[in-house]
Amino acid sequence: MATTEASSTTAVGKITQIIGSTFDAEFPENQMPEIYNALVVKETIKGVAINVTGEVQQHLGGGRVRCVALASTDGMVRGMNVTDTGSPVSVPVGKGTLGRVFNLLGEPVDGRGEVKTEERWPIHRKPPLLENLSAKTELFETGIKVVDLLTPFVRGGKAGLFGGAGLGKTVILTELIARIASAHGGYSVFAGVGERTREGNDLWLEMQETKIGQTDRSVIEQTCMVFGQMNEPPGARLRVALSALTMAEWFRDTTGTDTLLFVDNIFRFSQAGSEVSALLGRMPSAVGYQPTLGTELGELQERITSTKNGAITSVQAVYVPADDPTDPAPATAFSHLDAFIYLERKISEKGIYPAIDPLASSSRILDPQYVGERHYRVAREVQQTLQRYRELQDIIAILGVDELSEEDKLIVHRARRIERFLSQPFLVAEVFTGKAGKITPLEDTIRSFEEICAGKWDHLPESAFMYVGSVEEAEEQAKRMAE
Amino acid sequence: MAKARAIVKRLKAVKNIRKITRTMELIATARFKKAMDRASEAAAYTKKISELVADLSQANLEFHHPLLEKHETEKNSVLLVLTSNRGLCGGYNSGVLKAALKRYKELTASGQNVRLEVSGKRGISFLKFQGIAASQTYTHFEDRPTFEEVDELASRYIAEYVEGKIDRLDVAYTEFISASRQQAAVHSLLPISALESSVDTTATAQKYDYEFLPSAQEILEEIVPTAFKARLFKSFLDAAVSEQIARMVAMKGATENANEMVGSLSAQYNRARQSQITSEILEIIGGAAALE
Repeated sequence: MATTEASSTTAVGKITQIIGSTFDAEFPENQMPEIYNALVVKETIKGVAINVTGEVQQHLGGGRVRCVALASTDGMVRGMNVTDTGSPVSVPVGKGTLGRVFNLLGEPVDGRGEVKTEERWPIHRKPPLLENLSAKTELFETGIKVVDLLTPFVRGGKAGLFGGAGLGKTVILTELIARIASAHGGYSVFAGVGERTREGNDLWLEMQETKIGQTDRSVIEQTCMVFGQMNEPPGARLRVALSALTMAEWFRDTTGTDTLLFVDNIFRFSQAGSEVSALLGRMPSAVGYQPTLGTELGELQERITSTKNGAITSVQAVYVPADDPTDPAPATAFSHLDAFIYLERKISEKGIYPAIDPLASSSRILDPQYVGERHYRVAREVQQTLQRYRELQDIIAILGVDELSEEDKLIVHRARRIERFLSQPFLVAEVFTGKAGKITPLEDTIRSFEEICAGKWDHLPESAFMYVGSVEEAEEQAKRMAE
Repeated sequence: MAKARAIVKRLKAVKNIRKITRTMELIATARFKKAMDRASEAAAYTKKISELVADLSQANLEFHHPLLEKHETEKNSVLLVLTSNRGLCGGYNSGVLKAALKRYKELTASGQNVRLEVSGKRGISFLKFQGIAASQTYTHFEDRPTFEEVDELASRYIAEYVEGKIDRLDVAYTEFISASRQQAAVHSLLPISALESSVDTTATAQKYDYEFLPSAQEILEEIVPTAFKARLFKSFLDAAVSEQIARMVAMKGATENANEMVGSLSAQYNRARQSQITSEILEIIGGAAALE
């Protein structure tokens, strides 16, 4: 269990109230557990073993504390004994965690026996000091055209995948794992927060099959996974991201390697917080979210960062409720990220995947200072063309394309090609699409878009640009189609 | 509220556009009637005079007229393109220009010096964009071209042809076949032989014996240029009536599209507004409940 060595004065209290996934406990006034301490309820009632860990959230006065249960409170009754463990929930850290699957308490759930590590770290930690932060800014190539061109990732930075339901956030995240982790020498940590359990299982199986580069070691051997999925109570979903992050922090601080942290889905973290917020007696704030939304997310996000010691490159999926990016949860997450990818329903409706909105997505390093003059110019030209096309769309819808001026017709002509060229076959979607995944080097990507904008490929039909790598493949596809 | 406001703004814009397209449709309908009357009147006259020329040439008389004769070498040709001065008429201009551009490329490919003459602002700006220089541009032919205006052009072409300065005249315009069918076409008007071949299939069912007074040559000298002028005038009238029809159809479609858009935008706005109200109520109730 999560207990480290029991403190000398192990306090024992009694449960006084249970509401949903929170409970109150009463302790002797001089032995109050500290905020964030883990409390354990371990009893057998009517033949049912109850083993629930809770985390102290509030001191109510009179020796009473209010806790969030990290497991289901089913079967708990008032008057049960509660033991203060004297420290926050802690998880095993170290190389022993690689290849394993955990829950938020650091217990292995893959049925492969005990995990042996020398250390356990508490999941609540301070973010690195300002003076220790790394100031390097370097592009992180993914081989996905639209990402590399318009929203370049930062090595040691954070990237967010925003999107409504069913737009392919998880697919893109899985694709990035397949692309980055398989080419990456360092360690990866995956946090499954409140998403489908099946997806977690699929990912686990796939990681066992995917090999790292040319070696015959599978990706899972360099990865550890932590899951608190949809089936778990809100307390678990609220803390699982911290557990995974703690494991990643160990790799960063101790081994000094580049560590990858994948989170699917950070919105569920905010959502879980809002589920328990009212039960903890906090007044709901905008759109019913917890008033502490910004603080909670900030505490998590500030720890996902690169230090002089080592780097954590993180990719996070963020669900956008009702396709509304102004919703407080995604809007709060937005400000923490270096690269921001927004998935758009209209694009997925056109059958263009990844359904990344080239105008709404952006990156901090899409700047000539970091990516170079040429990359910047091509990216902006692509965006300008698409922006103009979007402006013209109402006119086209009403009056038809014939009413446009010749310049605008040319822009529409190219924009429609660029739009399609932003699609790309994925490695992980090979079994569904029957098309081999394409990894396009950054140089090819820039050149291809540059040539399309310059009008070199105006003669190819639109459909030739769908699901290809570099622009030469579009030419081949056009030839094949003509036959 | 930001989203709802944006929708309202778009909705207003679309409604304004709909007002304009609706009005344009009505105007085009009114003009179309007049233009069609003129075109069909001219059509009867042009048909008859073409028949006459065809009959005469079939009558096996010995006569010559410079306009009927093909020049031995075709070196200099003129391509006259008839487009509209105004837009908002669907594919009317692009159809004509596409056909004209095709002919232009064919002619230049066969080594001829092509002189391009364009009527209508739309065609002028298109050719400017394509980087093709037009030697003459006209913008004074509106929806009611007069015979005098066309006569001036036609006389110049006749003179130039007779002098041998030009060897061929092609006209690209939209042919008016019926109120429901118009077609972009390129026709050769000079030399006139080309014209006859297109007519004689319909007009040679009967053969007439003509008596010429004062003489065949004199009549011919009068009738051949007139036939050419009538034919050119007809092209202008066809173009004018086709333009009105194209505009009518395009604006009808545009109005319908705008209607559809107004419908979907209104639905979107109502939904945005409703969800905003719902969330505000929820917040108030939630806040009130939390205070109790």
